[in-house]
Amino acid sequence: MRALVIVGHGSHLNEDSSLPVYEHAGRIRETGEFDEVVECFWKEEPSMRHVLDTVESEEVYVVPAFISEGYFTQQVIPRELGLRGPVSRKGMKTVRYAGPLGNFEGMPDVILERTDDLMRAREVSGRTALVLLGHGTDLNKNSGGVVYLNAGRIRERGIYDLVEVGFLDQTPEIGRVVDGVEAENVILIPLFIAEGWHTRETIPEDLGLTGGVTVRDEKTIYYGAPVGTHPSMANLIAARARETMMEQHLV
Amino acid sequence: MSEARSRRPEFENVAAGSREAFAAWVDGAPDGRVFGQVITRPAKPFGYSLRHTDDARAAGLRVSEDPRAAREIAKLTEGGDYRPLKSSPNLRRGWEIRVADARGLVTAMNYLYPAGVVHWYLNREGRLDLTSFRENAARQSGIYKRVQRLSDEGVQGAVLACCEDAVCLKKTLWDIDEDTPLEVDRGEGEIPCPEPCSIFVSFARRVRLFEREKDVDGLSPSEREDLSALIEAAATGEVGFAREAEFEQPLNERRMRYRRLTLVPKLRRNG
Ligand code: SF4
Repeated sequence: MRALVIVGHGSHLNEDSSLPVYEHAGRIRETGEFDEVVECFWKEEPSMRHVLDTVESEEVYVVPAFISEGYFTQQVIPRELGLRGPVSRKGMKTVRYAGPLGNFEGMPDVILERTDDLMRAREVSGRTALVLLGHGTDLNKNSGGVVYLNAGRIRERGIYDLVEVGFLDQTPEIGRVVDGVEAENVILIPLFIAEGWHTRETIPEDLGLTGGVTVRDEKTIYYGAPVGTHPSMANLIAARARETMMEQHLV
Repeated sequence: MSEARSRRPEFENVAAGSREAFAAWVDGAPDGRVFGQVITRPAKPFGYSLRHTDDARAAGLRVSEDPRAAREIAKLTEGGDYRPLKSSPNLRRGWEIRVADARGLVTAMNYLYPAGVVHWYLNREGRLDLTSFRENAARQSGIYKRVQRLSDEGVQGAVLACCEDAVCLKKTLWDIDEDTPLEVDRGEGEIPCPEPCSIFVSFARRVRLFEREKDVDGLSPSEREDLSALIEAAATGEVGFAREAEFEQPLNERRMRYRRLTLVPKLRRNG
């Protein structure tokens, strides 16, 4: 039997954080690709510490619902799940640990689906810029890298006049990027896993957004939902798991 | 304490074993078994029924045949507040879940009390691995690392405030460390708690911050802050409590329970 374990951050304060994990798990369950699909969290139950005891399958695929490689994917998750590398043996289980979602090759497609959903049936004229918004952080230098990586991959496809990146906690700061970008239309997509305080409050506030569409100066800003809540993220999670099936190396 | 227990055999499928054992336990009690705030019974002609214990005999419940409906039920309290700790005694009422088999039963239970069934099973067999507070703290990193410095007395106080049956229905089985047992009432229910949970660690961090404060004129700054907040709130005629795991807010229930243990005796003494 085969199990997929999706690891989310979770929250002590609200349901926003775990919701996409539950929704993607539900979608993957329906495909029947895995005998079991189980959710677990850092801040919610079941905890990573105990989730494997609830799994009956011998073949276990662990996919972190995180955008970038860093503190959680490299330290917290392996430690809490008791993993020793990409493939670990735990009793009768073989546990394969996949990388985060953001640097996976399928990620640009999910971002573009998100922008398509946002722009569907809208008439735009003039230049259009796609701006990818990342958290960026002091703790984790890769968190910015994954935003640049996706911007580069989308830029190569030549769909938009411009593809830029901006951050909340590092430079280039998102407000400046949006103000400075030379395009009449700005599509702003947060590279976040879930809705939360930032996507609902700090970002709209800092950028003076009045909703999904904000017309300001000579610009129209289209603000999308975080990429992690898009339904096609479920396919990405399953594909991430599938990719680790190639890993033969037992640690 | 973990040494005293036999280690679990490495190659047993405990998830499958616990499912069978749990179903057999429920099958053995036509009147139902109570697990946390849930009563579960064999339902005719086959399968199981799950309800809130207070609804054991209620009519007109909202019935679902999907075991995963349990997730939505477990998510919010009656009043619509988010439930970060599923073993809090604030499960809402008004529902019934009917499942076809043992698999459905355990799926529903795992949303109501995550990992509860497998822990129940391992504990019954005397094979549940326990992790002491000190072992758990040693693993913490980032903002939680400071719980490593929490005193034994601080751990006791945190457990009394955070883990008693009034706020968490699990039986607290872990100790401070191998040689230092918790001196608390560990709880009555069926669901064991083998290791400090993330809510507890977050609360322990708060208590550690309290420990580091210095009293000025007999009270610490945060004690003053809490007393002021309490008086101001009560003076409006309605005390609005902070969310269950919002330990940074003065009017949090667990924080207030900790104050009852530590601040009230201090005030009485000073008076
Ligand atoms: S650590 Fe305390 S609050 Fe957390 S589950 Fe265990 S008994 Fe409950």
